[in-house]
Amino acid sequence: MADSTLLTVEDLSVHFSTSRGTAHAVDRVSFSIEKGETLALVGETGCGKSVTARSILKLVPEPPGRYASGSIRLANPDGSSTDMLAAPMREVRAIRGERISMIFQDPGKALNPALTIGRQLAEVFGEHRLGMILERAGLDPDKARPTARRIAQQRAGATRRRVYSLTNRVTSRALQRSIDEAVMAALADTGIPNTRKIMASYPHELSGGMKQRVMIAQALACDPDLLVADEPTTALDVTIQARILELIHEMQQRRGTAILYITHDLSIVRQFADRVAVMYAGRIVESGRAIDVLTAPQHPYTQGLLAAIPRPGTPRGQLEAIPGSVPQLIDPPAQCHFASRCKWAAPACSAAVPRLLAVRPMHETACFRYESAESVGMPQEDMPARIHHEGATAE
Amino acid sequence: MTALASPRISLPTDPNHRTAAGVRWERRLQLAREVLRNPLTVFGLVIIGFFLLMAAAAPLLTEQNQPDAYQAPRDWSNIDVPPGTDGHVLGTDSTGGDVLYGIIWGSRLSLQLSFTVVFTTLVIGTIVGSIAAMRGGRVDNVLMRIVDIFLAIPELIFALAIAAVLGPSFENIILALASVFWVKYARIVRGEIIRVKQSEYVAAARVVGDSTWNIYRKDVLPNSLTPLMVQATLDMGNVVLIGATLSYLGLAQAGLTEWGAMVSAGQSGLLAGEWWVSTFAGLAIVLWALAFNLVGDGLRDVLDPKMEGR
Amino acid sequence: MQVRDYLLRRLALLPLIMLGVSIVVFTLTRFTGSPVGIYASPNMTPDQVAALEARYLLDEPIPVQYIAWLGGLFRGDFGWSGVSVAPVTDVIWVKIAATLELALAAGAIAIFVGIAIGTIAGVRQNKWPDHSARLFSILGASTPTFWFGLLLLVPFYLWLNWFPLGRATPDIYDSVTHLTGMYTLDALLNANPVAFVDALRHIVLPATVLAFGAMATIVRMMRSSMVETMSEEYVDAARAKGLPESVVVKRHARRNALVPTSTVIGLSFGFLLQGAVAVELIFRWPGLGQWVSSAILAGDQATIMAYVLVTAFIFMTVNLAVDVAYAYLDRRVVLGG
Repeated sequence: MADSTLLTVEDLSVHFSTSRGTAHAVDRVSFSIEKGETLALVGETGCGKSVTARSILKLVPEPPGRYASGSIRLANPDGSSTDMLAAPMREVRAIRGERISMIFQDPGKALNPALTIGRQLAEVFGEHRLGMILERAGLDPDKARPTARRIAQQRAGATRRRVYSLTNRVTSRALQRSIDEAVMAALADTGIPNTRKIMASYPHELSGGMKQRVMIAQALACDPDLLVADEPTTALDVTIQARILELIHEMQQRRGTAILYITHDLSIVRQFADRVAVMYAGRIVESGRAIDVLTAPQHPYTQGLLAAIPRPGTPRGQLEAIPGSVPQLIDPPAQCHFASRCKWAAPACSAAVPRLLAVRPMHETACFRYESAESVGMPQEDMPARIHHEGATAE
Repeated sequence: MTALASPRISLPTDPNHRTAAGVRWERRLQLAREVLRNPLTVFGLVIIGFFLLMAAAAPLLTEQNQPDAYQAPRDWSNIDVPPGTDGHVLGTDSTGGDVLYGIIWGSRLSLQLSFTVVFTTLVIGTIVGSIAAMRGGRVDNVLMRIVDIFLAIPELIFALAIAAVLGPSFENIILALASVFWVKYARIVRGEIIRVKQSEYVAAARVVGDSTWNIYRKDVLPNSLTPLMVQATLDMGNVVLIGATLSYLGLAQAGLTEWGAMVSAGQSGLLAGEWWVSTFAGLAIVLWALAFNLVGDGLRDVLDPKMEGR
Repeated sequence: MQVRDYLLRRLALLPLIMLGVSIVVFTLTRFTGSPVGIYASPNMTPDQVAALEARYLLDEPIPVQYIAWLGGLFRGDFGWSGVSVAPVTDVIWVKIAATLELALAAGAIAIFVGIAIGTIAGVRQNKWPDHSARLFSILGASTPTFWFGLLLLVPFYLWLNWFPLGRATPDIYDSVTHLTGMYTLDALLNANPVAFVDALRHIVLPATVLAFGAMATIVRMMRSSMVETMSEEYVDAARAKGLPESVVVKRHARRNALVPTSTVIGLSFGFLLQGAVAVELIFRWPGLGQWVSSAILAGDQATIMAYVLVTAFIFMTVNLAVDVAYAYLDRRVVLGG
């Protein structure tokens, strides 16, 4: 793992058992994220990108889900790394919200309707910033721990009155103020006005854009190293989308947070992503620098995807669609999943899984058109027409 | 809602009508398979089968008592004997009545009670609910207020009052339960019909000019039956449970081989250490109710996972 | 605001439905003819009986009788209770208090235990705790209360003598002033721990029996709403914050699952009221249930009528209260869309 690498996903497979068989939602996916960079994971609905995102926080429900193979290693400051999938739950919880946090697709669903905004944010501080809260309240974090810890966490969950009843008025007021200030600071950081009022509101009292701001504030409250943003603007009005994206970008610039965007929106990739990985039917089929992938897509699927985007100047009725539909992921055969929709498909494509191979510097794709018959071990006549690239690595 | 999800537009002259019915049968088979996958449901079905066999074979299993088969034969030389004495497999009660005989013939009474009550109330409830939903307006309003009145009194208490007024007899218990249980069905049918009426395929049938009665018969009613089936299954157990409570309270004829009455008859014996009469009779009630509740619960899970709370 | 409109409509319907219940009850009791028997004695002459009938308007047509009876109800005259040998209104309050105390105690047990079991079942969906919770609750719904009561009576009363029958030990009863008629509450108001423990010992067994049957609906509803909330995104979001699973379950999932569960609590109360009949009889609890069962055997119509009316009223009021509570709890969610 290079020094600058923050997160390495290696050979990750996530399976779901269903009544009809095992669904291979994520199939041997590998990628890495550098410190401070933005990686976009692109694909259609159901291609496994959301499951990949959730796996990073170990949020896939088990059962029906199962991490079938691989590791997700987060680099620690001391040079070691923690595998999210293998680490004890205690360590995973310490990382969630503190070093890796997540923004969800629909802020209306990701905020608890029964708790005020303030309390939901306070939970994060109660979990990860207790020392700071205590110190700011004038308490010694080491000495005050047992009761004060309970109080601070209670504040996050219980009513104000219950906090008072647990300790003397002065201390709990100080604690209360300390927590409120932290919450308001986090909210103000995302440009939310009138933070005291917002803090006391319930999610349904806020607009969609405001809710997503709250989610961002909550996710960035502890200054995480990585922010996983799962379609953060899909559920929002078009007018709000750009502003939320700008906000995330701006926060990233200020704090140096790495971002993993999960999206099907290629314009987000174009504007904000440093690198991009394209997923299809549970596998990564192409990855590289955003500019390279967008301007010179190598995989037939990516090419089709880009051709399907309307551009100014495209005559009416000339938008291209990819023929066919996504194959089902239940007990999939060992083959290129795109073969059935690919105009270059050859017998080899239905007989083996192509590897991700660098076809140009920092640009990889998984397609037999870039491989020789010998390297695949297939008869020449079964291979699709080959494309030679100047940057192709000889393997 | 999988069971209701098939949009079936049937026209009077639909040439594909037969195939639509075929599809329906296929779906039922599929449902049956799904229901049978739950071991608890299968367990319930086995118990029900066991009780049905017992009721059917009652005259073969025991020598029928004359003149009234639903009074256990009195063995005056064996009063309050424990299970296993002198051919009394489950013992006798304080009048020498054989407990096993009572339980076997009691299963016939339970079957009679639950089947009569559920069948009649299902019919009455469906008619009332259908009229309310199809007519709407004032008719609906009046009928539903009547339903509200009936629902304001807890089932058992209402049945208790009716049975008390009619006088103690098993037939009156049936009558009392029947006059109470239709209400739920009326409400379910009405709710379902209103829901189905608003769905697209009924609108489609209306567009092609089908008559109201035809729409009701072919589209609305069959599609409203799912929750009724679940409720009826659960009620097969509930009716016996409440009926047994009524006869336990003394609203059936004395000495009847009804399980609730048997529990009552064995009560004083139970406190004196003669546990078998009340225990076995009570177990019969529990098994009966448990079986239908398990099957009803399994059906509900398969037919409509979101139905609870109705 | 639609919620308030709905509740106001319900409130307006309440007296109407009660009127309907009174008509039903009255017609029912007149089915078997004149209730003069309860007032007459065997040595009266036919003339005396006729005079008695005239006095109670029993020779008038049924609607007139009904109006007279209804007028009596409004004046607080529920008739003469033959089994209590007193006017109904004199004894009914004590009976109501006794049954309410039992039903509330059983309700409290059913709600707490039911919610706990339902929560565990919902969290451990389709695993063995879920299956056993389902079996347990279905068993509760399938067991006749009278039989279960008898079954518990034998070991706990007969053999161990842990829990006495009735409502209170006479000496201890006399040492307390009874303000509410609910003995546990009275003991607390009197600050009398001995009386409180005594009242508790009497209520534990009948309340447990009653609760067992009422629990099924609550467990079932709680389980299914837990299953639903556990799959909500905010539960994942709470996990993503690094909260421990216990906090996620309690603060995020359970809190929201309680809202739909509260709707079935009103329905369970109907079960508590009807189950009380047999339970009171078995545990010699001098409440409405015991009262009415002796009235049934004696053919005491005034008592039966009063009982049905009062039970219906309690049941409806509780349901309305639950609806108000639900509307309040759900306000945020409903109005938030």
